[in-house]
Amino acid sequence: MVQINLPKNSKIQKGKYYKDNTGSNNIRKVNVYRWDPSNEENPRIDTYEVDMNNCPSKVLDILNKIKNEIDPSLAYRRSCSHGVCGSCAMNMDGKNGLACTKSHSEIKGDINIYPLPHLKVLKDLIGDLSILYKQYESVEPWLKTSKKSEKENIQSMEDRSKLDGLYECIMCACCSTACPSYWWNGEKYLGPAVLLQAYRWIVDSRDEDRKERLKKVADELKLYRCHTIMNCTNACPKGLNPAKAIASIKKMLATS
Amino acid sequence: MKDKNPLSPHIQIYSWHISSLVSISHRITGIINIFIITLVCCWLAYLLLGSKNYEIIFNFFGTYIGKFLIVGSVWSFSFQALSEIRHLFWDLGFGFEIKTSNITGVLVIFGSFILTIFFILIKNSLL
Repeated sequence: MVQINLPKNSKIQKGKYYKDNTGSNNIRKVNVYRWDPSNEENPRIDTYEVDMNNCPSKVLDILNKIKNEIDPSLAYRRSCSHGVCGSCAMNMDGKNGLACTKSHSEIKGDINIYPLPHLKVLKDLIGDLSILYKQYESVEPWLKTSKKSEKENIQSMEDRSKLDGLYECIMCACCSTACPSYWWNGEKYLGPAVLLQAYRWIVDSRDEDRKERLKKVADELKLYRCHTIMNCTNACPKGLNPAKAIASIKKMLATS
Repeated sequence: MKDKNPLSPHIQIYSWHISSLVSISHRITGIINIFIITLVCCWLAYLLLGSKNYEIIFNFFGTYIGKFLIVGSVWSFSFQALSEIRHLFWDLGFGFEIKTSNITGVLVIFGSFILTIFFILIKNSLL
Protein backbone atom coordinates (compact mmCIF):
# COMPACT_ATOMS: atom_id res chain seq x y z
CA MET A 1 0.00 0.00 0.00
CA VAL A 2 1.26 3.48 -0.83
CA GLN A 3 2.25 5.25 2.33
CA ILE A 4 3.98 8.53 1.64
CA ASN A 5 4.68 9.59 5.22
CA LEU A 6 7.06 7.80 7.54
CA PRO A 7 5.55 6.00 10.54
CA LYS A 8 5.67 7.79 13.88
CA ASN A 9 8.72 5.93 15.21
CA SER A 10 10.65 6.67 12.01
CA LYS A 11 10.33 10.46 11.96
CA ILE A 12 13.80 11.94 11.82
CA GLN A 13 15.03 14.32 14.51
CA LYS A 14 17.90 16.71 14.65
CA GLY A 15 20.95 15.04 16.12
CA LYS A 16 24.34 15.99 17.45
CA TYR A 17 26.81 18.35 15.84
CA TYR A 18 30.46 17.30 15.82
CA LYS A 19 32.65 20.34 15.33
CA ASP A 20 35.98 19.98 13.59
CA ASN A 21 38.93 19.96 15.99
CA THR A 22 41.78 19.69 13.49
CA GLY A 23 41.69 23.36 12.51
CA SER A 24 41.62 22.40 8.83
CA ASN A 25 40.83 25.00 6.18
CA ASN A 26 39.01 22.46 4.02
CA ILE A 27 35.93 21.32 5.90
CA ARG A 28 32.84 19.55 4.61
CA LYS A 29 29.66 18.94 6.50
CA VAL A 30 28.48 15.35 6.42
CA ASN A 31 24.93 14.55 7.57
CA VAL A 32 24.50 10.93 8.58
CA TYR A 33 21.33 9.03 9.49
CA ARG A 34 21.66 7.48 12.95
CA TRP A 35 19.48 5.08 14.86
CA ASP A 36 20.47 3.21 17.98
CA PRO A 37 18.45 0.04 18.73
CA SER A 38 19.48 0.09 22.39
CA ASN A 39 17.23 3.03 23.28
CA GLU A 40 13.70 4.12 22.45
CA GLU A 41 14.62 7.29 20.61
CA ASN A 42 13.64 8.14 17.03
CA PRO A 43 16.26 8.22 14.29
CA ARG A 44 18.31 11.40 14.06
CA ILE A 45 20.67 13.14 11.67
CA ASP A 46 24.15 13.74 13.09
CA THR A 47 26.33 16.32 11.43
CA TYR A 48 30.09 15.85 11.25
CA GLU A 49 32.62 18.41 10.15
CA VAL A 50 35.23 16.43 8.23
CA ASP A 51 38.73 17.58 7.32
CA MET A 52 38.90 16.95 3.56
CA ASN A 53 42.63 17.70 3.30
CA ASN A 54 43.37 14.31 4.80
CA CYS A 55 40.60 12.25 3.26
CA PRO A 56 40.78 9.94 0.21
CA SER A 57 38.34 10.31 -2.65
CA LYS A 58 35.33 8.11 -1.89
CA VAL A 59 32.33 8.51 0.38
CA LEU A 60 33.34 5.33 2.19
CA ASP A 61 36.63 7.02 3.08
CA ILE A 62 34.66 9.78 4.77
CA LEU A 63 32.68 7.23 6.79
CA ASN A 64 35.87 5.40 7.77
CA LYS A 65 37.39 8.71 8.81
CA ILE A 66 34.37 9.55 10.95
CA LYS A 67 34.42 6.12 12.57
CA ASN A 68 38.16 6.12 13.19
CA GLU A 69 38.69 9.72 14.22
CA ILE A 70 35.42 11.33 15.32
CA ASP A 71 32.68 8.90 16.39
CA PRO A 72 33.41 5.16 16.74
CA SER A 73 29.74 4.40 17.45
CA LEU A 74 28.78 4.85 13.77
CA ALA A 75 27.64 1.56 12.22
CA TYR A 76 27.68 0.70 8.49
CA ARG A 77 28.43 -2.34 6.36
CA ARG A 78 31.60 -2.47 4.27
CA SER A 79 34.01 -5.10 3.17
CA CYS A 80 35.96 -5.07 -0.10
CA SER A 81 35.93 -1.30 -0.78
CA HIS A 82 36.37 -2.01 -4.49
CA GLY A 83 32.78 -2.22 -5.69
CA VAL A 84 32.72 -6.00 -5.77
CA CYS A 85 31.02 -7.18 -2.58
CA GLY A 86 28.05 -4.80 -2.50
CA SER A 87 28.13 -4.36 1.28
CA CYS A 88 28.38 -0.58 1.45
CA ALA A 89 25.24 0.14 -0.58
CA MET A 90 23.54 3.23 0.82
CA ASN A 91 21.73 6.39 -0.18
CA MET A 92 24.12 9.27 -0.83
CA ASP A 93 22.97 12.66 -2.06
CA GLY A 94 19.49 11.25 -2.76
CA LYS A 95 20.73 8.41 -4.92
CA ASN A 96 21.52 4.82 -4.14
CA GLY A 97 25.03 3.60 -4.78
CA LEU A 98 28.11 1.99 -3.32
CA ALA A 99 29.95 4.24 -0.87
CA CYS A 100 33.25 2.73 -2.01
CA THR A 101 32.84 3.72 -5.66
CA LYS A 102 31.03 7.04 -5.23
CA SER A 103 33.41 10.01 -5.26
CA HIS A 104 32.54 12.73 -2.78
CA SER A 105 33.72 15.33 -5.32
CA GLU A 106 30.63 14.45 -7.39
CA ILE A 107 28.40 15.69 -4.59
CA LYS A 108 27.69 19.39 -4.33
CA GLY A 109 27.17 21.04 -0.96
CA ASP A 110 26.70 19.06 2.24
CA ILE A 111 26.93 15.30 1.96
CA ASN A 112 23.73 13.53 3.05
CA ILE A 113 24.02 9.83 3.83
CA TYR A 114 21.02 7.62 4.56
CA PRO A 115 20.50 3.86 4.66
CA LEU A 116 18.96 2.21 1.59
CA PRO A 117 15.38 3.53 1.31
CA HIS A 118 12.26 1.87 2.71
CA LEU A 119 13.97 -0.84 4.74
CA LYS A 120 13.66 -1.69 8.42
CA VAL A 121 16.76 -0.15 9.97
CA LEU A 122 18.87 -2.45 12.14
CA LYS A 123 21.34 0.22 13.18
CA ASP A 124 22.49 3.54 11.70
CA LEU A 125 23.15 2.87 7.99
CA ILE A 126 22.35 -0.84 8.09
CA GLY A 127 19.03 -1.87 6.60
CA ASP A 128 17.34 -5.26 6.91
CA LEU A 129 17.48 -7.07 3.56
CA SER A 130 16.08 -10.41 4.72
CA ILE A 131 12.88 -10.08 2.65
CA LEU A 132 14.96 -9.47 -0.48
CA TYR A 133 17.13 -12.51 0.26
CA LYS A 134 14.02 -14.68 0.71
CA GLN A 135 12.71 -13.45 -2.63
CA TYR A 136 16.08 -14.20 -4.20
CA GLU A 137 15.84 -17.74 -2.86
CA SER A 138 12.32 -18.04 -4.30
CA VAL A 139 13.60 -17.73 -7.90
CA GLU A 140 15.94 -20.69 -7.26
CA PRO A 141 19.12 -19.05 -8.52
CA TRP A 142 21.00 -22.20 -9.44
CA LEU A 143 21.41 -24.33 -12.54
CA LYS A 144 18.74 -26.95 -13.06
CA THR A 145 19.73 -29.68 -15.45
CA SER A 146 19.22 -33.40 -15.80
CA LYS A 147 22.61 -33.84 -17.48
CA LYS A 148 25.22 -35.46 -15.39
CA SER A 149 28.18 -35.15 -17.67
CA GLU A 150 31.69 -35.71 -16.49
CA LYS A 151 32.98 -32.87 -18.62
CA GLU A 152 32.20 -29.19 -18.38
CA ASN A 153 28.82 -27.98 -19.60
CA ILE A 154 29.77 -26.11 -22.77
CA GLN A 155 28.00 -23.01 -24.08
CA SER A 156 28.34 -21.38 -27.50
CA MET A 157 29.85 -17.88 -27.58
CA GLU A 158 26.46 -16.54 -28.56
CA ASP A 159 24.63 -18.23 -25.68
CA ARG A 160 27.26 -17.12 -23.23
CA SER A 161 26.97 -13.50 -24.39
CA LYS A 162 23.31 -13.51 -23.34
CA LEU A 163 24.49 -13.57 -19.73
CA ASP A 164 26.57 -10.42 -20.12
CA GLY A 165 25.02 -7.56 -18.19
CA LEU A 166 23.31 -10.10 -15.89
CA TYR A 167 26.01 -12.20 -14.23
CA GLU A 168 27.85 -9.08 -13.01
CA CYS A 169 25.13 -8.29 -10.48
CA ILE A 170 26.51 -8.19 -6.93
CA MET A 171 23.12 -8.14 -5.17
CA CYS A 172 23.82 -4.87 -3.39
CA ALA A 173 20.08 -4.01 -3.51
CA CYS A 174 20.67 -0.45 -4.76
CA CYS A 175 18.14 -1.00 -7.57
CA SER A 176 15.37 -2.68 -5.59
CA THR A 177 15.45 -0.09 -2.83
CA ALA A 178 15.40 2.72 -5.43
CA CYS A 179 12.16 1.41 -6.93
CA PRO A 180 8.91 3.10 -5.80
CA SER A 181 6.95 -0.02 -6.79
CA TYR A 182 9.17 -2.04 -4.50
CA TRP A 183 8.65 0.50 -1.70
CA TRP A 184 4.87 0.14 -1.87
CA ASN A 185 4.70 -3.61 -2.62
CA GLY A 186 8.00 -4.90 -1.29
CA GLU A 187 6.55 -8.07 0.18
CA LYS A 188 4.86 -9.22 -3.04
CA TYR A 189 6.66 -7.56 -5.94
CA LEU A 190 10.03 -9.25 -6.47
CA GLY A 191 11.84 -6.04 -7.36
CA PRO A 192 14.51 -5.34 -10.01
CA ALA A 193 17.44 -7.14 -8.35
CA VAL A 194 15.61 -10.45 -7.98
CA LEU A 195 13.92 -10.20 -11.39
CA LEU A 196 17.28 -9.56 -13.05
CA GLN A 197 18.55 -12.72 -11.37
CA ALA A 198 15.41 -14.61 -12.43
CA TYR A 199 16.09 -13.52 -16.01
CA ARG A 200 19.73 -14.53 -15.70
CA TRP A 201 18.62 -18.14 -15.18
CA ILE A 202 15.76 -17.95 -17.70
CA VAL A 203 18.15 -17.08 -20.55
CA ASP A 204 20.90 -19.49 -19.52
CA SER A 205 21.14 -22.00 -22.38
CA ARG A 206 22.28 -24.76 -20.01
CA ASP A 207 19.22 -24.47 -17.80
CA GLU A 208 16.36 -26.88 -18.56
CA ASP A 209 13.75 -25.30 -16.34
CA ARG A 210 12.99 -22.21 -18.41
CA LYS A 211 9.24 -22.86 -18.81
CA GLU A 212 8.74 -23.47 -15.10
CA ARG A 213 10.80 -20.43 -14.21
CA LEU A 214 8.75 -18.22 -16.53
CA LYS A 215 5.50 -19.63 -15.19
CA LYS A 216 6.56 -19.00 -11.63
CA VAL A 217 7.47 -15.37 -12.23
CA ALA A 218 4.41 -14.54 -14.40
CA ASP A 219 2.30 -12.93 -11.74
CA GLU A 220 0.40 -9.65 -11.48
CA LEU A 221 2.29 -8.73 -8.32
CA LYS A 222 5.61 -10.55 -8.63
CA LEU A 223 6.47 -9.21 -12.10
CA TYR A 224 3.93 -6.76 -13.47
CA ARG A 225 4.29 -4.22 -10.68
CA CYS A 226 7.20 -2.95 -12.75
CA HIS A 227 5.96 0.21 -14.47
CA THR A 228 9.30 1.08 -16.07
CA ILE A 229 10.04 3.93 -13.69
CA MET A 230 13.74 3.24 -14.48
CA ASN A 231 15.02 4.20 -11.01
CA CYS A 232 16.70 0.78 -10.90
CA THR A 233 18.81 1.35 -13.99
CA ASN A 234 19.66 4.86 -12.85
CA ALA A 235 20.82 3.51 -9.48
CA CYS A 236 22.85 0.43 -10.48
CA PRO A 237 26.50 1.01 -9.45
CA LYS A 238 27.64 -1.70 -11.87
CA GLY A 239 25.94 -0.08 -14.87
CA LEU A 240 23.53 -2.98 -15.41
CA ASN A 241 20.00 -2.57 -16.72
CA PRO A 242 17.38 -4.35 -14.56
CA ALA A 243 14.54 -2.47 -16.32
CA LYS A 244 15.57 -4.05 -19.61
CA ALA A 245 15.84 -7.50 -18.05
CA ILE A 246 12.33 -7.20 -16.61
CA ALA A 247 11.01 -6.02 -19.98
CA SER A 248 12.69 -9.02 -21.60
CA ILE A 249 10.82 -11.36 -19.24
CA LYS A 250 7.56 -9.60 -20.05
CA LYS A 251 8.30 -9.87 -23.76
CA MET A 252 9.13 -13.57 -23.46
CA LEU A 253 5.84 -14.17 -21.67
CA ALA A 254 3.90 -12.20 -24.26
CA THR A 255 5.45 -14.03 -27.21
CA SER A 256 5.70 -17.59 -25.87
CA MET B 1 11.47 -6.54 17.12
CA LYS B 2 10.42 -5.51 13.64
CA ASP B 3 7.82 -2.99 14.84
CA LYS B 4 10.39 -1.24 16.95
CA ASN B 5 12.80 -0.74 14.06
CA PRO B 6 12.21 2.45 12.12
CA LEU B 7 11.59 2.53 8.38
CA SER B 8 14.36 4.25 6.48
CA PRO B 9 13.25 7.39 4.58
CA HIS B 10 12.34 6.79 0.94
CA ILE B 11 10.38 9.22 -1.23
CA GLN B 12 11.30 12.02 1.17
CA ILE B 13 14.99 11.78 0.30
CA TYR B 14 15.20 10.10 -3.09
CA SER B 15 16.14 12.48 -5.87
CA TRP B 16 13.94 12.67 -8.97
CA HIS B 17 15.06 11.52 -12.37
CA ILE B 18 13.46 12.46 -15.67
CA SER B 19 12.21 8.90 -16.01
CA SER B 20 10.52 8.82 -12.59
CA LEU B 21 9.00 12.26 -13.17
CA VAL B 22 7.50 11.22 -16.51
CA SER B 23 6.31 7.94 -14.96
CA ILE B 24 4.37 9.62 -12.13
CA SER B 25 2.98 12.24 -14.55
CA HIS B 26 1.85 9.41 -16.82
CA ARG B 27 -0.19 8.00 -13.95
CA ILE B 28 -1.63 11.34 -12.87
CA THR B 29 -2.64 12.36 -16.41
CA GLY B 30 -4.18 8.90 -16.84
CA ILE B 31 -6.44 9.47 -13.84
CA ILE B 32 -7.26 13.03 -14.95
CA ASN B 33 -8.15 11.73 -18.43
CA ILE B 34 -10.79 9.41 -16.95
CA PHE B 35 -12.50 12.46 -15.44
CA ILE B 36 -12.14 14.44 -18.67
CA ILE B 37 -13.72 11.66 -20.75
CA THR B 38 -16.57 11.40 -18.24
CA LEU B 39 -17.09 15.17 -18.46
CA VAL B 40 -17.07 15.07 -22.27
CA CYS B 41 -19.70 12.32 -22.21
CA CYS B 42 -21.87 14.36 -19.82
CA TRP B 43 -21.42 17.37 -22.05
CA LEU B 44 -22.54 15.44 -25.15
CA ALA B 45 -25.56 14.02 -23.31
CA TYR B 46 -26.42 17.53 -22.16
CA LEU B 47 -26.31 18.82 -25.75
CA LEU B 48 -29.03 16.36 -26.72
CA LEU B 49 -31.40 18.28 -24.51
CA GLY B 50 -31.47 21.30 -26.82
CA SER B 51 -29.72 24.29 -28.31
CA LYS B 52 -30.15 26.43 -25.21
CA ASN B 53 -27.81 24.12 -23.35
CA TYR B 54 -25.21 24.56 -26.06
CA GLU B 55 -25.26 28.28 -25.39
CA ILE B 56 -24.67 27.78 -21.65
CA ILE B 57 -21.68 25.53 -22.19
CA PHE B 58 -20.28 27.71 -24.95
CA ASN B 59 -20.37 30.69 -22.61
CA PHE B 60 -18.73 28.65 -19.85
CA PHE B 61 -15.84 27.73 -22.13
CA GLY B 62 -15.37 31.44 -22.78
CA THR B 63 -14.54 32.08 -19.10
CA TYR B 64 -11.03 31.75 -17.69
CA ILE B 65 -11.92 28.55 -15.86
CA GLY B 66 -13.40 27.13 -19.05
CA LYS B 67 -10.33 28.07 -21.08
CA PHE B 68 -8.05 26.56 -18.45
CA LEU B 69 -10.09 23.36 -18.56
CA ILE B 70 -9.70 23.13 -22.34
CA VAL B 71 -5.96 23.83 -22.37
CA GLY B 72 -5.41 21.51 -19.38
CA SER B 73 -7.34 18.68 -21.01
CA VAL B 74 -5.48 19.02 -24.27
CA TRP B 75 -2.15 18.96 -22.44
CA SER B 76 -3.17 15.96 -20.33
CA PHE B 77 -4.20 13.98 -23.41
CA SER B 78 -1.07 15.02 -25.34
CA PHE B 79 1.19 13.95 -22.49
CA GLN B 80 -0.58 10.62 -22.03
CA ALA B 81 -0.47 9.85 -25.76
CA LEU B 82 3.23 10.64 -26.15
CA SER B 83 4.18 8.80 -22.99
CA GLU B 84 2.15 5.81 -24.14
CA ILE B 85 4.08 5.74 -27.41
CA ARG B 86 7.26 5.65 -25.30
CA HIS B 87 5.82 2.70 -23.38
CA LEU B 88 5.01 0.91 -26.66
CA PHE B 89 8.65 1.14 -27.71
CA TRP B 90 9.69 -0.19 -24.31
CA ASP B 91 7.29 -3.11 -24.74
CA LEU B 92 9.05 -3.92 -28.01
CA GLY B 93 12.34 -3.91 -26.12
CA PHE B 94 13.80 -0.59 -27.28
CA GLY B 95 14.95 2.52 -25.44
CA PHE B 96 16.10 1.16 -22.09
CA GLU B 97 19.55 2.75 -22.04
CA ILE B 98 19.72 5.60 -19.53
CA LYS B 99 20.67 8.11 -22.20
CA THR B 100 17.89 7.06 -24.58
CA SER B 101 15.27 7.02 -21.85
CA ASN B 102 16.33 10.49 -20.71
CA ILE B 103 16.06 11.84 -24.25
CA THR B 104 12.65 10.24 -24.85
CA GLY B 105 11.51 11.50 -21.44
CA VAL B 106 12.45 15.08 -22.31
CA LEU B 107 10.81 14.63 -25.73
CA VAL B 108 7.57 13.58 -24.01
CA ILE B 109 7.63 16.61 -21.69
CA PHE B 110 8.40 19.18 -24.38
CA GLY B 111 6.31 17.38 -26.97
CA SER B 112 3.22 17.55 -24.78
CA PHE B 113 3.50 21.36 -24.62
CA ILE B 114 4.18 21.66 -28.34
CA LEU B 115 1.19 19.44 -29.15
CA THR B 116 -0.97 21.53 -26.82
CA ILE B 117 0.01 24.76 -28.56
CA PHE B 118 -0.53 23.07 -31.93
CA PHE B 119 -4.07 21.96 -31.05
CA ILE B 120 -4.99 25.34 -29.56
CA LEU B 121 -3.76 27.05 -32.74
CA ILE B 122 -5.92 24.72 -34.83
CA LYS B 123 -8.88 25.47 -32.58
CA ASN B 124 -8.34 29.22 -32.89
CA SER B 125 -8.04 29.06 -36.66
CA LEU B 126 -11.32 27.13 -36.89
CA LEU B 127 -13.30 29.54 -34.71
